[in-house]
Order: sequence, then C-alpha cells, then structure tokens
Amino acid sequence: MLATLLLAVTMQAGAAEPQALAVGAVAPDFALPGATRYGTLKNPVRLSDYKGKTVVLAFFFKARTRG
Amino acid sequence: MNAYRDQYAQVFKNGRNVVLIAISADVDTALASWARDADYPVLFASDTGSAVGKAYGAFNERYKLDNRNLFVVGSDGKIAYRQTPFREIDPTAYTELGAAIGKLVPADTTGSH
Repeated sequence: MLATLLLAVTMQAGAAEPQALAVGAVAPDFALPGATRYGTLKNPVRLSDYKGKTVVLAFFFKARTRG
Repeated sequence: MNAYRDQYAQVFKNGRNVVLIAISADVDTALASWARDADYPVLFASDTGSAVGKAYGAFNERYKLDNRNLFVVGSDGKIAYRQTPFREIDPTAYTELGAAIGKLVPADTTGSH
C-alpha cells in the first residue's frame, strides 16, 4: 500500500518535470523573433544560421529577473 | 544574466566562434529593452509560444515559463553539453561551462570569425 502510494507520488512529481534533451541529441532548429541591446532584429534568430559554430542556448524564466 | 555578461569574455570567448542565445517567453521588445538597460552583449530570442522551450524539454508546465536550462550545441548540430538546471549562482557552473566550450572551440581558432 505504502509502496503504491510512493510510486504514485513519484510519478506525479516526475510528470511535472520536463525531460530535457540529452547530450548527443540533435538540437531542434528554430526561428524566433530576436533582440539585442541595440533593439529588436529584423530577421528571426535561427539556430541553423550558426551551423559550424558552437552555440550556447540559455533558457531563462523572465526578463528583469535573476532567472 | 548579469553573470553571463560579466563573464562573456572568459566563458564565451567574447563571441568568437561561440554564439550565446538567451531564450525566454518574453516578447522581443521587452528583451531588447532589458538588454539595452543592462548592456547585455548576448543575442536574445523570444519564445512567446514556448514551442522551443517544449522542444528542448525546458518548459515548465506549472509556471508556463522556461526553466533555467542550458545547452551547448556543437558544430555538428548536436547537444554536446547541458546543465539542467543551470546553477546560476554557483561559480563552478561557469567553470564547467567554460571547460565544455573550450573543448569545442580550441584556443587557436578563436581569433578568427
């Protein structure tokens, strides 16, 4: 009974956590509106535009927060 | 984001053969405004629909925002390193990130674009 309850709780907790892409996975391409300190960009930011370079993708919560 | 800015030269080699793209669900104008005010040298991408966050497994369903996850994509287009979550306030997180980038971008190639 306790084991079943623990499993259910674990699964619920696991469901709330997204599965981040693993090392070795192909990075999905994207095209998103872009911005720099000089303003918004005319053309979208595409990962594929930087093929051949090392790209660091840093996801964060929200602008003007520590996240 | 301040730490990214402050360590841009050391960790991200001033953007030479390394592109840092910071992604959130904010609109592009909000990102541009923040980048200007804080003088962030990085490229921002506006993932308002969170499609990219979901594709990378960075999206937090509970808060409808992207988690602080970091991926390094190698020149072959594959994820070579990740920190999920990225330990923003831990100095060793940047040391580890810098080492991961260093393996992908040898020092003798950083002088060219």
